[in-house]
Amino acid sequence: MKGGFKPRIVRNFVGTYRPKIDGWEKARGEAEYLDDIALKVRFPGMLYAKVLRSPYAHARIKSLDVSRAEQLPGVHAVLTYQDPEVASLKPTQGGWTPFFTTSYDRMTWPTYKDRRVLSDHVRWVGDEAGVVVAAESEGTAQEALRLVEVEWEVLPFVLDPFEAMKPGAPVIHPEINPNGNVLPPSPFADSEVFLESGDVEKGFAEADVIIEMESDYHHADHACLGTRGCLIHWEGDKLTCYTSYYQADQTRMHITQMLDLPLHKVRVINPYIGGSFGRGNTGEQPFFIFTAILAKRTRRPVLFKHTRREDFHDSRNKIIYHCKMGAKKDGTITAAHFKSIGDAGAYSDHTMAATDYCVRGDFTPGTLAHIPNLKMETYVAYTNKIPGGCKRGIGNNQINLVFGPAVDLLSEELGMDPVELAIKNFGHEWGPVPDESLEAVLHAGARRIGWENRHRPGAGPTYDGFKKRGLGFSFHNSWHALWQEVPRGHIQVSVRVNPDCTVILDAPTAETGTGSNTCNVLSCADALSFLGIGPEEIQWISHTDTERGLKDQVQTDSAIAFVQSEMMPKVGKIVREKVLQLAAAQFERKAEDLDIIDGQVFVKDTEEEKSVKDVLWQADLVPILATVSEPLPEEVTGTPFTATFVEVEVDTETGQVEVLRAVVVHDCGTVMYPPGAEGQQVGGQAMALGETLTEEIVYDETTGVPLNFNFIDYKLMTMLDCPEVDPVLLEVWKGAGEYAACGLGESVTTCTPAAVLNAIYNAVGVRIGTIPVKPEMVLAALGKIPDRVSQEERR
Amino acid sequence: MSRMSDRSERTSTAALSTEERSEGGRAPTYSIRIRINGAWQEFEVGRDIEASHTLAYLLRERLGLTGLKVACDEGACGACTVLMDGQAILSCTTLAVEADGHEVLTIEGLPEDDPVIEAFAEQCEPGFGTALQCGYCTPGFVMATKGLLNENPHPTLDEVKEALSGNLCRCGCYAAIGQAVLRAADKMDRQGR
Repeated sequence: MKGGFKPRIVRNFVGTYRPKIDGWEKARGEAEYLDDIALKVRFPGMLYAKVLRSPYAHARIKSLDVSRAEQLPGVHAVLTYQDPEVASLKPTQGGWTPFFTTSYDRMTWPTYKDRRVLSDHVRWVGDEAGVVVAAESEGTAQEALRLVEVEWEVLPFVLDPFEAMKPGAPVIHPEINPNGNVLPPSPFADSEVFLESGDVEKGFAEADVIIEMESDYHHADHACLGTRGCLIHWEGDKLTCYTSYYQADQTRMHITQMLDLPLHKVRVINPYIGGSFGRGNTGEQPFFIFTAILAKRTRRPVLFKHTRREDFHDSRNKIIYHCKMGAKKDGTITAAHFKSIGDAGAYSDHTMAATDYCVRGDFTPGTLAHIPNLKMETYVAYTNKIPGGCKRGIGNNQINLVFGPAVDLLSEELGMDPVELAIKNFGHEWGPVPDESLEAVLHAGARRIGWENRHRPGAGPTYDGFKKRGLGFSFHNSWHALWQEVPRGHIQVSVRVNPDCTVILDAPTAETGTGSNTCNVLSCADALSFLGIGPEEIQWISHTDTERGLKDQVQTDSAIAFVQSEMMPKVGKIVREKVLQLAAAQFERKAEDLDIIDGQVFVKDTEEEKSVKDVLWQADLVPILATVSEPLPEEVTGTPFTATFVEVEVDTETGQVEVLRAVVVHDCGTVMYPPGAEGQQVGGQAMALGETLTEEIVYDETTGVPLNFNFIDYKLMTMLDCPEVDPVLLEVWKGAGEYAACGLGESVTTCTPAAVLNAIYNAVGVRIGTIPVKPEMVLAALGKIPDRVSQEERR
Repeated sequence: MSRMSDRSERTSTAALSTEERSEGGRAPTYSIRIRINGAWQEFEVGRDIEASHTLAYLLRERLGLTGLKVACDEGACGACTVLMDGQAILSCTTLAVEADGHEVLTIEGLPEDDPVIEAFAEQCEPGFGTALQCGYCTPGFVMATKGLLNENPHPTLDEVKEALSGNLCRCGCYAAIGQAVLRAADKMDRQGR
């Protein structure tokens, strides 16, 4: 925040403003990504794999002839779904795991094993079809695919989830549901109504005011600048894989389980990764498997890498919500009912996680816990479109898109300030209402945006003849406190203290840009500050490598900012004991007679002292090794809150919406690295506002062909489009462990779309429930042009 | 493969790539010279590179100058920005042969302590975040900034935004990048560069 954030506990390094540890490496262009490793100058003989992509929204391969492709000079292998080593592969699922390493038989969604490696049944335009080739150049590989003769059986397709759920709709996954496109209920609930507490009918009967709200979130792409892929080569019976998917250990598990290999014969390396935002959570991708088979067959390194177009590969899940909420005149909410329609796209991946798993496990206990009567239900359907995975959380943005406006509308009907209504009703399961964190977050945001100046909907002054301004906000529980990370199991961290008192830190996790590496170095420096060293003396190992021995922490959520840091004090204790043992031998005293302060070893009862450096240098010159592998504390502390407040300007003549400024507030418990946290808060708005206003995947409805899988027509926010953002960091809530922290990387985007919708309403007095908000939607809502397709007609 | 039911049709899956197209009617070879990061280098077109190869391809795939990135491959994101004769250009939409006789500067050619690199690396001023997160777009932003400051050594923030609006940063570090550019300009001014 401007002027700097003030930490609750002042530490030497954690919580301080300083450059990112990999800033120089990245600013010089020296940081290596998959693309910079997978070059022929580094891997002579490397082949390029290209997979056949479906030109149809829904089709089957009736027959194939690959003979011309095989004869093309430069082609080394053509692999098809008919080859025994492919046909015998198990069916798989795109989202085995939410965030920990999971085996095939323990995958999260065993009910929905709907992916095959190289299937003959393709389900969206661009789907990986039954042929992959490996050739000496990308161009030759592409040409070989052109020579593959395919006889397609073109099947009817469906793009709209409501149409997909109707009887008679084309069945997209008969192996999952032979009768329609609705996924069987979540294995965690066994029913579409996955959560029911109290009696909602009774709750609504007790209410004086009842409101209903609808929202429609779209399949927003991750659009990371670095595209996904892998380079695989074999040495004898050992496979090595470099990948831009951020879960090295889980990738190893996936490859070994699919190809029936022992774990020690697969090595997975994550170099730097060009952005992620959760996309790796659909990392159990068939392309690892066919690339491995091609590399084995050709005995050459094989690179499979998405082009920009191909990297439009998964997305934030499209979810349509209906929310009904009732309250008494005094603002006490008596009941709430949320019903969602999840549009999974062509594969289940993580859509049930978005509509059920995370709503049940995260938003409900985190925000709705004190609503006495609650009902949640979900219906997820396949359509012939891009699948939905995880993106900066799972399902949180989507439910917030209905929740934020519902709270706004309910407060209006009650004649209450929505800030007051929120504080009166919402809080997490493990604490009282009013929730201290929510109060602090909302009051800070309201103060900084100037909430007291908010006018009645549509009643503010007019600017430049046609423009109206409005304020709005939304709030949500933050994403991932320490106790929610317990399923990760043991957390492993190791340091080596060299004889010159410098340190090699092994806290393996792929660096995707989140800055958890800096958090780890700072917490390590705090834990080892008794050695008289700082972050400059600590070298972080930038590449994650399953062969180095320690389990990596998957960058699936922002808790990586502190889960490994929680091990640092334990590492520090081991190092202290070992240094004392070395010094004891040199002083010819017992270790308990000595102490270490600021890099000096003292004999407590005499004047004798010696620097740690001298102690280490005079010892056997073998680095001190300290390795910790421990589970996280299970103490349940609830979660803190986040809110986004925005001011928008709506041009009532053109329908254009401009966000003038945003205040993004997070209570983190402990801010590990303020410039990193603020970078998430500010940067997250570029993504969230893009999803709200400019980004949209457009399909040709007559063919199902996506029309804008490129960076010209899929409109990401640029430097000119982004408003001024005020990032506000608070430390009010307290979690467990050394740092008592909660993540924020996901929740920086959660509240923004709903805040913008509320601000548009405040500006012009009309509600819009669908994003992206396009000018024509605003004009239609204002009654200036006819509404092309009303929501009712669609249903 | 002659059967065709009413619901079937045959398709070609891809057009010829530019790379393959050039292998058809091959023109006689000729040489081009490009001064890359201070040193003249000669390439035989048709042997060392194809006439259809982009400058990005030559720099990355043949010369291993991997600082620049090819992220969109169609001039929409700026990650491949390099300087040609001091001006920022997109190397993914420039043919290698177009650089014949010109001076090309990639990020590898900047001095270690270049003030723009320093400003991007060290930005941590409260309220803006860091000027880079994943770092994939960063070399493109650094080179676009070099191009801007060559033309306009004292830009306003609005001029910075205008000049860098062709570069995409999905992590959204724009506010911090703006600060870094202003800071680099100040530093270069003080150093008289």
